[in-house]
Amino acid sequence: MAGTTTKTVHDIFQSMEYGPAATSSTATARAWLDSHSCSLGLFIAGQFVRPLDRQTRSVVDSKGALVCSTVCALQADILQCASSAVKGFEAWSGLSCYQRSKVLLRLASTLGQHGQSVAELCDLCGASCSSSSLVRLLQYYSGSAQLRDALVANWTPLGVVLVVVSDDCTFHSLMLKVLPALAMGNSVMVVPGQSTAPPALLLAQLFMAAGLPAGALNVLTGGDMSLAADVAQNSSIAYVTYSGNKQDAVKLCKATAGMGVPVSVSPNIGATCPIIIFESADINSAVDDVLETAFKKKKEAHWVLCVQESVLDSVMARLRLRMAGLKCVSLPDDGVRVLVETAVQDAQNKGATLVQSCAVPSSTQYPPTVLCGAAPSSPCVVMPSPGPLLPLVTFRSNTEAVTLGNHSPHGQAACIWTEDLTLALETYKSLSVGSVWVNSHPLSDPCLPVSGHKDSGTCTDGGQEGLYQFLRPSSSSVLPRASPVALDYAKFGTDPPPVIIPDQTAGTLKSYTHFVAGKACKSESGASVVVRPQGGGDVLGYCPDGGQKDVRNAVEAAIKVQPGWMKKSPPARAQHILSLAKGLEGKRQVLAATICGQTGLPMEEAHMEVELSIARLSDWAAYCDKVHGGTLPVPQAGTGLSIPEALGVVGVVLPDEHLLLSTVTLLGAALASGNAVVMVPSPEYPLPALAIIQVLLSSDLPAGLVNIITGRRDQLTKALANHSVIKAIWYWGNSEGCQYLQHTCTSPLKTLRLFCQTDKDGNHRGRDWTRPSVLEEFWRNAVQWKSVWIPTA
Amino acid sequence: MSARNPGTQLDLEWVSKVKVNTQAVLRRAQYIQGLKLPKKQWQAAWLLKAITCIDLTTLAGDDTPSNVHRLCMKAIQPVQYEHLKKMDMHDKGVTTGAVCVYPSRVADAVKSLKAANSNLPVASVATGFPAGQTPLETRLTEVRMAVADGATEIDIVINRTLALTGQWEAMYDEICQFREACGDAHMKTILAIGELGTFANVYKASLVAMMAGSDFIKTSTGKESVNATYPVAIVMVRAIRDYFLRTGHKVGFKPAGGIRTAKESLVWLLLIKEELGNDWLTPHLFRLGASSLLADIERQIYHHVTGQYAAYHELPMA
Repeated sequence: MAGTTTKTVHDIFQSMEYGPAATSSTATARAWLDSHSCSLGLFIAGQFVRPLDRQTRSVVDSKGALVCSTVCALQADILQCASSAVKGFEAWSGLSCYQRSKVLLRLASTLGQHGQSVAELCDLCGASCSSSSLVRLLQYYSGSAQLRDALVANWTPLGVVLVVVSDDCTFHSLMLKVLPALAMGNSVMVVPGQSTAPPALLLAQLFMAAGLPAGALNVLTGGDMSLAADVAQNSSIAYVTYSGNKQDAVKLCKATAGMGVPVSVSPNIGATCPIIIFESADINSAVDDVLETAFKKKKEAHWVLCVQESVLDSVMARLRLRMAGLKCVSLPDDGVRVLVETAVQDAQNKGATLVQSCAVPSSTQYPPTVLCGAAPSSPCVVMPSPGPLLPLVTFRSNTEAVTLGNHSPHGQAACIWTEDLTLALETYKSLSVGSVWVNSHPLSDPCLPVSGHKDSGTCTDGGQEGLYQFLRPSSSSVLPRASPVALDYAKFGTDPPPVIIPDQTAGTLKSYTHFVAGKACKSESGASVVVRPQGGGDVLGYCPDGGQKDVRNAVEAAIKVQPGWMKKSPPARAQHILSLAKGLEGKRQVLAATICGQTGLPMEEAHMEVELSIARLSDWAAYCDKVHGGTLPVPQAGTGLSIPEALGVVGVVLPDEHLLLSTVTLLGAALASGNAVVMVPSPEYPLPALAIIQVLLSSDLPAGLVNIITGRRDQLTKALANHSVIKAIWYWGNSEGCQYLQHTCTSPLKTLRLFCQTDKDGNHRGRDWTRPSVLEEFWRNAVQWKSVWIPTA
Repeated sequence: MSARNPGTQLDLEWVSKVKVNTQAVLRRAQYIQGLKLPKKQWQAAWLLKAITCIDLTTLAGDDTPSNVHRLCMKAIQPVQYEHLKKMDMHDKGVTTGAVCVYPSRVADAVKSLKAANSNLPVASVATGFPAGQTPLETRLTEVRMAVADGATEIDIVINRTLALTGQWEAMYDEICQFREACGDAHMKTILAIGELGTFANVYKASLVAMMAGSDFIKTSTGKESVNATYPVAIVMVRAIRDYFLRTGHKVGFKPAGGIRTAKESLVWLLLIKEELGNDWLTPHLFRLGASSLLADIERQIYHHVTGQYAAYHELPMA
């Protein structure tokens, strides 16, 4: 009866050791791979395609053994795939909500049967994903598909969505993009990473069996991010969305700059995230969960343990005790081992003490290690290395804990531990991260919106909020595609100012001021630009030629007052905005005359625009306390919340049309949700926007909350792009400007909304600013979501 | 047995600072129940370890010398000799941890064991078991008489009224008196967790019981509606761990009530190994209060040795 080892019952009776770890079976996954001769093709138009003469790429398991190979797609494959996706979109979006929902549900029940093979394949390729979490995703999104027209009426699918993930992305994150895209009626082209390619192909096949129309889901495999950029170039792609590490996110953003296709990224791998243990915590539970979180086999985030000084000894004692039982983690190669050892050595040299589960073995195994006494400035916190390392820093007070947690370029997630309800609520509010778990390790569920703040993302995944990235307002038109041009990014926006020759009119014309930090002033450089009426004509006046220094001053003032503005009660914000609307009312005549003078519109139409603008601001005032987050139906016991939060400081480069209405719409959107703005009026026609300054001067808004800087568009765009405090830029302008912003705003990431005002042939492309649907569209652009999960009975 | 817990002064500040997050404890219990159980010879060895930790118990109104005698005989030979021999465990002293009876049956048990030349400890429940609702004086007398009859381990029940109303000082004093009455006999304190309300209360009661010098803390009498559950056990063993960290004294743990299957006994061992470590996996620091558990473990060992599942009548009766 004895097993293969020589351990006798008595030996084990004495040592009470664990038996050898059971190796999980991979038989069904292997059988599926074998049926493809372990060389997987592309999945196009509902079937596997195995083009000849393609390079292949190997997928290896955790021990480095070959699992299978995938094909590297070429341009011909992309074309074939894109045309299949277009057909797929027609078929799929033509179905009813019920029919689409049914397909997702059918796949969920198919997974009940074949979930084993998907889970095994994920395991084998190192992209672990349990089949129960996939079933949950499918069930959640089948509901979203069923209720699309009821829940998000007046929004319509985008068309062909390209989902890209990096090699280290989990299969769950990939599906968190693919399934909502499909549920909303888009067709999807997936460019998976190395480890997610085989499960993505298998799932595409199972989707077909569940009744998905051919072409609605296609999988293109390749070598690296360059394939994704090549696919994005295809004119049938309406939207590109990405999940994975930050480096590849930047590569993708830069490579797709200027294509005229919106790109959103969720760099959810490799963010630095705090775990905060307050003295009021259940420390035993906290330590257990910390160990489970921080030393997971596959490290998605770099956790930093922040412990209140008063309970440091207590936490350390338990860490020492609990860590003794932890097993070593295997490192991918010797290179990583060198990195880990350097990081540990460096931390030790700076006075950190180590808590390790065992002595460091001389293989590619490394024991879980806590670096106690690390400082926020130590390299192991600033530039975390891979491997099972957990820096531990201490803090004194509750406020300091929040400061410590927020002092990072990342804003992915945080765990907080306290039994004090008030403290927990106050802390989750103050942390600028997308997900907060109270007294729990990270839990995920598709009903929770996941939206990285700061450098951790430019879109929201999951939840109802995450559906909007795959939709556009039905009344909006599809943005024109463009081709990237050879643009010298270093020279963009550096033209010398135009020379103004004084003539006989000098001195009689008005010199306008712009509005920075609550003051009407000239530009820092003192230079001006001329303003002429639309369609040409005599000079109307001069306005300041703003530049980088003006933007800097504005942002400095804005970031000082924005947190206070955000914390103001929604009714108070509403009152402020209403008083702005009243200010506009008082200046009706002046505003209409300004619009007339600037655009040459008939007085009647100008008056209409003023009235619409006043009504629009009143709309925004009402939005303040009417639209908010809510509680989420989390499946486990507990309370889930989603909360819309301000982005911070938003840069707006205003359009050349509906000069007053567009300015007021965008200003209101930003202010209503708690942001501060730096607005750049249309360089040609700045007067209506400048006319608002008089209203702002007499308003009681905090100085610096609204800034209006005139000047040349490219110069100011460059200035906005290069200020890290600005979290979002809404841009109306030319295709070069769009390309510049997409290429430049990657570090830190800015949320970009780019609108190219001219199409390929140079014709002006406008939008209808009078429709009420712009309200919801821009409100959604002006917030970022935070989700909170508090496990309770 | 190893060094006893001398107890400490009552530290009410420590007791008042206790925080327990219910949901986190429940998650931890889920996690432990989800761990892979040992297989093959590991399973056999672990099951034998479980047997050595069993307090083989009979606590019924109709207990007589004859069924107590049978129980004692089963306790000293819990697994058939030939099966033990096949695993080379026949000479390793595999007996249950103790036998556990009512005070009036202690003398019978001691007599039976002496006749069989066994020094297996006899444990007795006392102090108005199971409710503890009798005057302190009679409860103390009960302890003294059981010890006089030869019981070397006494399972006392705490006064739930004191615990529920937060009279920790009074509870501490009572337990201290029981401990004194026990003399050299080891004291296991039953917290009756089913009647304590919250996890935080369980934790606090555990701490006070240990401060008052309990050698073991025990979950329940087996007579309450809620018996030994894994989440409650996690709270109690964490209290044991914290007491050890603070004082250096190791206190034992005894879950009791509702533990019936071999699989459950393995989960209990896993829980102790995960939370307290191997040091606690001995009869000195871990006991399972059970009556029908032994039969199921025996069946599993029968299967391990013979490859066949036994009918209950094939196993020697207790």
